Amino acid sequence: MKGRKRKITQVVILIGILLLGGYAVGTSLFKSDEKPKIGGRPPAFENVADVEGNLHSLADYRGRPVIINFWGTFCPPCVAEMPAIERQYQKYKDQGLVVLAINLSEDDITVRDFLKRFNLSYTILRDRNRMIERKYALRSYPTTFFIGRDGRILDIDTGGMTDEEIERYILRLLET
Amino acid sequence: MNWLSISSGAFLVAFVLYCAAFLFYVIAVIGRKWKNRDPQHHLRKWGRIAFICSSLGLAAHLAFFFTRWAGAGHIPTSNMYEFMTLLGMMIMIAFTVLYAIYRAPLLGMFALPLTILIIAYAAVFPSEVQPLVPSLQSNWLRLHVTGAALGEAFFAVGFAAGLMYLLRVTDYNDKSASARRSQFWLEFSLYVLVVVAGFIITVFAFRGAGYEATFLREELTIDAYGNEQWTRETIEYQMPPIVKPHGSEPVSVRPFLGLDRPLFEAPAWMQGVNAGRKFNTVIWSIISGTILYGLLRLAARRPLGAVIHPLLEGIDPEDLDEISYRAIAIGFPIFTLGALIFAMIWAEQAWGRFWGWDPKEVWALITWLFYSAYLHLRLSNGWHGLRSSWLSVIGFLIVMFTLIGVNLIIAGLHSYAGVS
Amino acid sequence: MLENTKCECGHQNPPDTALCESCGKPLGTEALTDGPLEMRYDGVARRSQKSNPNLLDRIWSFFSSVKVAVVLIVITLIAAIFGTILPQENAFINFDPSWYEEHYGLAGKIYYMLGFSRTYESWWFITLLVMIGASLVICSLDRVVPLYRALNKQQVRKHIQFLTRQRVTYAADLEDDDAEWMRKLAEQFRKRRFRVRVEDNALLAEKNRFSRWGPYINHVGLIIFLLAVLARAIPGWQLDEYVGVREGEIAHIPETNYYVKNLDFEVEFYSDDELPERLKGTLRPKRFVTKAELYVCEANCGSTALEPVLRKVKEHDIVVNDPLEYKGLKLYQFDYDTTPRLKTIRPVLVDLKSGETYGPFELSILEPEPEYELGPYRLKLITRFLDFTVNADGVPGNKSSQPNAPAFLFLIEGPDLPEGGETFFYFPIPTDRERFGQDLINGELAERFDFRVTDMAHVEFLGDVSYLNVRVDRALPYIFAGAFISLIGLVMGFYWQHRRVWLRIDDGRLTLGAHTNKNWYGLRSEVAAALRSAGLEADPKSLDNGGKRR
Repeated sequence: MKGRKRKITQVVILIGILLLGGYAVGTSLFKSDEKPKIGGRPPAFENVADVEGNLHSLADYRGRPVIINFWGTFCPPCVAEMPAIERQYQKYKDQGLVVLAINLSEDDITVRDFLKRFNLSYTILRDRNRMIERKYALRSYPTTFFIGRDGRILDIDTGGMTDEEIERYILRLLET
Repeated sequence: MNWLSISSGAFLVAFVLYCAAFLFYVIAVIGRKWKNRDPQHHLRKWGRIAFICSSLGLAAHLAFFFTRWAGAGHIPTSNMYEFMTLLGMMIMIAFTVLYAIYRAPLLGMFALPLTILIIAYAAVFPSEVQPLVPSLQSNWLRLHVTGAALGEAFFAVGFAAGLMYLLRVTDYNDKSASARRSQFWLEFSLYVLVVVAGFIITVFAFRGAGYEATFLREELTIDAYGNEQWTRETIEYQMPPIVKPHGSEPVSVRPFLGLDRPLFEAPAWMQGVNAGRKFNTVIWSIISGTILYGLLRLAARRPLGAVIHPLLEGIDPEDLDEISYRAIAIGFPIFTLGALIFAMIWAEQAWGRFWGWDPKEVWALITWLFYSAYLHLRLSNGWHGLRSSWLSVIGFLIVMFTLIGVNLIIAGLHSYAGVS
Repeated sequence: MLENTKCECGHQNPPDTALCESCGKPLGTEALTDGPLEMRYDGVARRSQKSNPNLLDRIWSFFSSVKVAVVLIVITLIAAIFGTILPQENAFINFDPSWYEEHYGLAGKIYYMLGFSRTYESWWFITLLVMIGASLVICSLDRVVPLYRALNKQQVRKHIQFLTRQRVTYAADLEDDDAEWMRKLAEQFRKRRFRVRVEDNALLAEKNRFSRWGPYINHVGLIIFLLAVLARAIPGWQLDEYVGVREGEIAHIPETNYYVKNLDFEVEFYSDDELPERLKGTLRPKRFVTKAELYVCEANCGSTALEPVLRKVKEHDIVVNDPLEYKGLKLYQFDYDTTPRLKTIRPVLVDLKSGETYGPFELSILEPEPEYELGPYRLKLITRFLDFTVNADGVPGNKSSQPNAPAFLFLIEGPDLPEGGETFFYFPIPTDRERFGQDLINGELAERFDFRVTDMAHVEFLGDVSYLNVRVDRALPYIFAGAFISLIGLVMGFYWQHRRVWLRIDDGRLTLGAHTNKNWYGLRSEVAAALRSAGLEADPKSLDNGGKRR
């Protein structure tokens, strides 16, 4: 009787340790860092204004291949790749391709005057107080996320891209 | 006459009294074997004289501390000079407590040189009063520093007694492999102490001579936006440069014994501004410490341990073992409170995190873990005597690394002004 | 296998008992030697020591071993050392993985790859802590229960061998009456604050038994501490963010529903006479304070397009060591930026030929008007740069989104100017004007027009930026509670010692044995003093029976 009671205590304690310990180790092992990863889902954003003031949410584009590109006028490689993105967008927009180019929380005049110099037809969104940028845990500019029709991140590119590189990504995107 | 000048006067008095007390303790211990005297009576008489002298020294040291507090307007625990003098004072307090319990004059023969070494080391740092930057204006910080120093002081006394135990029991006539190993490491421990003394002597010698050398380092850095930026840093040496900072050029080097330019360059991974200089200081300390050790060996014609060993004859090693353990047992809760709990409270208030895995913090934790292992080994696994004494020596090494080594090698939030 | 575990006193002991639970007679292997007794846990059988172990017993006895605990401590200690070799990832606000390789070359890369850059969050370090936790629980439980039992049912009269084989022993032949001696000795121990029980010509004096519980209370505290640390992983229990907010502005606190407003930021520096010689002329901050207001968002939160609806909930002057606190949310003063940046200037347009001035007009750096009328002239803003630079391909652009080097490109229209006007670059900051060669860019027009600020009152600066660290840590009370319980345990265990003295008088022969868990020196002096006061000559040293010390 005494022995059984002892055994039960032991089992309860060991299970308790196993559960708590497993939880502790598990959270450190599977800590997602909350930063978007290839194969994961992109952080959602809602009601972000474009340059005309129309509101966009990521959820609006569910089921379509989406390119999310972060850019700033102060970032030369960002500026350099914009015409290339535009060309590829023109080529593939009929197949449902969406480009959301999110500006890095710059002010109105800067963005407006900058865009005058280009003739961009894809959507430019305005981040504010780096809210979206933080969600995407950006480390360097430009960074581009390629999101497949399945709503998962197919690839992430940091640094400027050429026409060929963008096209290669888009072709992969369209396959999803 | 203001508080601060009284304070520096008191410091000098304390230092002199400590040196005298050390001498008296040595007389008390050695003189037992002199002719025409009763050993017990001699020990008691000179032990009392020495204890009075060291207590007067402690009184002067306390006067230094409190007058400096009055003069500076804040408790003097905020830079390396103040911290090391505080540590010296705490060691004397810990020694006094243990002396009161065990009445062992011999302990003074080891605790006093340790105190002297530590406050001489303190004197290497600039001694002026520095106004506090905002993060240091906290009562919890003051409690943390004082508590940690007191805990570490008890560990220091534990070390002194542990070292005495080792010197007492090591048999210098034994030629077996294990005895030789024990003799070697004991000698090495003494050598390390001599190197510390060598460091202090070197600093003061070159400072006295007003030695100076200057280096310029230009470095290209690229910021987050890809802009190149040249930074220029001037690095000043107070010792002749054996090694120059990585990537720097000498501006002016005063020749010293024919040494008019650095012999080699610090490796590339030593990147910090002061890394080259610290490395140079370490090299100088080892050189001068080795020379000093060589001279001592030459004078004694045998290992230093073998010189000290006979002086300790007639002392019960078990008593030394007990004193060492007791000092650590008293120090452990104080260290826990001062170095960990108060530190957590302060960190919570100042930085919003009770624990930040800052190198200094981690090393305090390492110290704590080490001494808790020591206590468990002693209490449950029966490690006493030799093994326990070695642990007390290693433990104090960890304490000193936490206090000095971390600042010398790893930089963190806690870094007081760097080592000379 | 059945073992005969019955002691000669008649007590039935569990298997593996070293000293009879009742009379203390050495049993088993202890009976074979004659040195001082192993008195740990009073010689009772510990839980984990069992023959025929199954898996459960094996795991249990693994964690129940102090040796294992020490090994775990040492491994943790060494692992912790590894984490201090190079800076950890958490030391960076914006961490970049290539940093290690850039700064430390291959060694840095390996360090990063092996995961030492995040030693203290790694699964193996956490596993070590969990194992230490398990060891704390099981070790304590396995020892405290039998110890409690042993101390709770102590016999006064012990076996003679139990007394003579204690580390502190004494024996003497007494004259006079046994009972009288017993009374005298009992009185002496009572005087020394022992609790004394006398039975049957035997005496047990005991004091500070509570100190035996010190280690276990310490371990309970540590377990609470570890559990509290573990609880920080619960979502919402922990937050660590940074927010920079300019004077007069309001900023959203990331990951929360709160906004913080910076009403005013001030830095106070030490004056030269407060500084020692070496530091004179340096800017050593004495105090910095952010007068802050905390708002909670009630609608349109998290929107980048709509204005949020806010309600003020708290005001506080944030100083280092004195954060703003509201419902577990704490805002700490972290950093500041007092670099002066222009907000508005009020320049005049100067006609250099005639000396005529027009204006002043208000030119906002962040929100300039599209057009300005100045006398006969009209300025049309073509574009404005916040941090002017010329790109590699010669195109003007911005270096950052901060107003570090503002520049305006105007179209000037008016008399004596060509149809459609002429362009004019204006750099409000004089050093920028030099740096970028305003006069050179503007060419001939530079000889005709200029913008001048005639009075410093016409220059307005943006406020200072105060950077705040935002923290939530709901486990904190439990963490400190655990730490203090642990400390209380340490103090109990180390500053008091459990002392016991057993004494028997058998036909005029006094036998004494004494035991303590720590500080034998103190025990010997105390026993010797008590004996001396009772009239028996005893030197503390002579009571020592040798043996191991703890």
